[in-house]
Amino acid sequence: MQMRTLLANRTVRPYVLLVAIGVVLWLLDNGRGAFLTTSTAFSVLQQFATIGPIALGLGLTMILREIDLSVGGMISFAGCIAVMTGGEHPVVGVALAVLFGLVWGLFQGAIMTALRLGSIGVTLGGLLTLGGLAYVVTGNVSISYPRMDVALAVNHPFLSVLSLRSVITFAAFLVAAFVMARTRVGRDIYATGSDRRAAMVAGVRTTAIILGVFASSGMLAALGGALLSYSLAAASGVALTDALVPAIAAAIIGGVSLSGGKGTPIGIVGGVLVLCLLNAGLNAVGTPPAVHDVVTGSVLFLVAITDAVDLDPRLFAMRRFWTELLLRRDEPASSKGGTGH
Amino acid sequence: MTDATRAVGTKETAGAQPLWSNLLPHSTHARVLFLIRGLAILGLIVAALTTPGFFTAVSLFSLLNTTSFIGCVAVGMTFITLSGNIMSFSLGVTLSTSGIVFIAALPLGLVPAIAIALCFGAAITGLQGVVVGYFRANPIIVSMAALALITGCATLITQGRGVYPEGGAAAILKARVLGIPMPVAALVTTAIVAQLVLSYTRFGRHLYMVGSNWRAALAAGLEPARTVLGAYVAAGICTAVAGILMAARYSSGDMELGIGYDYSAISAVLVGGTAISGGEGSALRSLVGAFIIAVCQVLLLLHGFSTQIQYLAIGIIVLLVIMLQTLADSN
Repeated sequence: MQMRTLLANRTVRPYVLLVAIGVVLWLLDNGRGAFLTTSTAFSVLQQFATIGPIALGLGLTMILREIDLSVGGMISFAGCIAVMTGGEHPVVGVALAVLFGLVWGLFQGAIMTALRLGSIGVTLGGLLTLGGLAYVVTGNVSISYPRMDVALAVNHPFLSVLSLRSVITFAAFLVAAFVMARTRVGRDIYATGSDRRAAMVAGVRTTAIILGVFASSGMLAALGGALLSYSLAAASGVALTDALVPAIAAAIIGGVSLSGGKGTPIGIVGGVLVLCLLNAGLNAVGTPPAVHDVVTGSVLFLVAITDAVDLDPRLFAMRRFWTELLLRRDEPASSKGGTGH
Repeated sequence: MTDATRAVGTKETAGAQPLWSNLLPHSTHARVLFLIRGLAILGLIVAALTTPGFFTAVSLFSLLNTTSFIGCVAVGMTFITLSGNIMSFSLGVTLSTSGIVFIAALPLGLVPAIAIALCFGAAITGLQGVVVGYFRANPIIVSMAALALITGCATLITQGRGVYPEGGAAAILKARVLGIPMPVAALVTTAIVAQLVLSYTRFGRHLYMVGSNWRAALAAGLEPARTVLGAYVAAGICTAVAGILMAARYSSGDMELGIGYDYSAISAVLVGGTAISGGEGSALRSLVGAFIIAVCQVLLLLHGFSTQIQYLAIGIIVLLVIMLQTLADSN
């Protein structure tokens, strides 16, 4: 009964899953000591730093009942900006990338609110445009980042599991968690995501909220892309990592609902950690990389089905069908066909 | 698909508009939009006429050849978009895997191999159609899950290597029919069949209705879930056609074949003017969209712009078209 209330809490669910996956991987490891190491923990947190900011931005737009597909292109293009402008001062590169993320997010938000367009179409166009921009500025070749010291610095482990990248990501999540839970803006975002018209009637400035959330999403994706490019010391038009699918998966596992108004940044942290633990853990116990795809896909599939609109009626129909079938078979044996239904 | 293939009586087509009227707008806003589109196409034609080297056999044939693969996938994507399920991220991997299946099945003979590949394509998108249609799961998430699952499974099965055909049975697919390259002939056939299915069958009419309003379709006594399933199966078949042709053309099947085709296909669908919200559009429009994109690419190429600029141009065109689309909807 208690387990049930625990699982009903969308923020706690990913952490329950996290512990379960940890136990399963530990059993799979079978005492070889390859899984429970600080290096696994470090690699989990490094992946967390890659997917985390993108999942957070996407998650915020999903809480708003929208989706920002353009983050996929933003990662590449922001990486290009950071690498091409951050040769002298790395901070300037990141700042310019984040600034571009802000401008682009506002631009997309403005198109959506002014023309009353759906976010999928606009951000799909954004995804293609940003991808194209990344190809143009890099001239279709991989650009290397000359500052190896910066690359080492952002990845340098301290406290044996953290790095600058993962600390920045945690900081972003903390800020988001505070804003969403404790401020009026956070409440307005939930209100807008649950029922836009009602929120508007209640006096929420929904246009400003939409602009703000898409700007944050752009900035977070740009931040993630810039830091990723620094850490790999490279930028290219070809996406360095296909982060869009894992980021959406992470947000959904983290309790964000596609129907809007549900989910928390803390839950999203859990969702991202679940995916990263799966990847790093499977790596540590020695499964081929393709298995990660299968596992990620299966998890996403399961979540998609559990979140499906018509799941309950279909399950009910199926259950009734089976009961009737069983009843009919039992009828000759027991004439009083009483069931629980 | 039983609905699609069933012959339709006169009673049902009595209220149907003829094929060409799908291309003509009804409201004032839509007419403005139509004018803008017309001008854009006119501009494109003028640009093509004034570009030296565009109207040469080599350039036109390469244009047709590249369009034929994207066109097939775009026609398939049209079914999904029309059904109100936006797009699928898994048509690219469907293309790759059905190409692999085709090559792997070639020892059984050409016709069985084609049939198996088509069934395979229909089955893997059909499964997604079941989940999207019957459970009403989010189509974007389902297609992304399918993308990861199919990529993973296919890589595990093929060990990440390409598959190569034994013997030259597939060579016939590289031949020409009445002087037209096989891929082009296949594209034209696919598009025409798809358009006929959309315009003149019960399945097609249901698809438009389900796409524009699921609840209304349900209230009207249709079975929206079955229609959505049909749309996904049709998308799988069209994509498998592209996969077969591509595998035959490159004499190999591997996971690289379909990379990027999801995005190219949805670009073609949207540029053609099919509404992303579903319920409005046609297969021929997507075909036109695919050609417009291809013509733009060739023009940019002939004017000395690099491939990078072409990527950017497509992105901007899609963004503009989506913004233009609202001119018609916002009324």
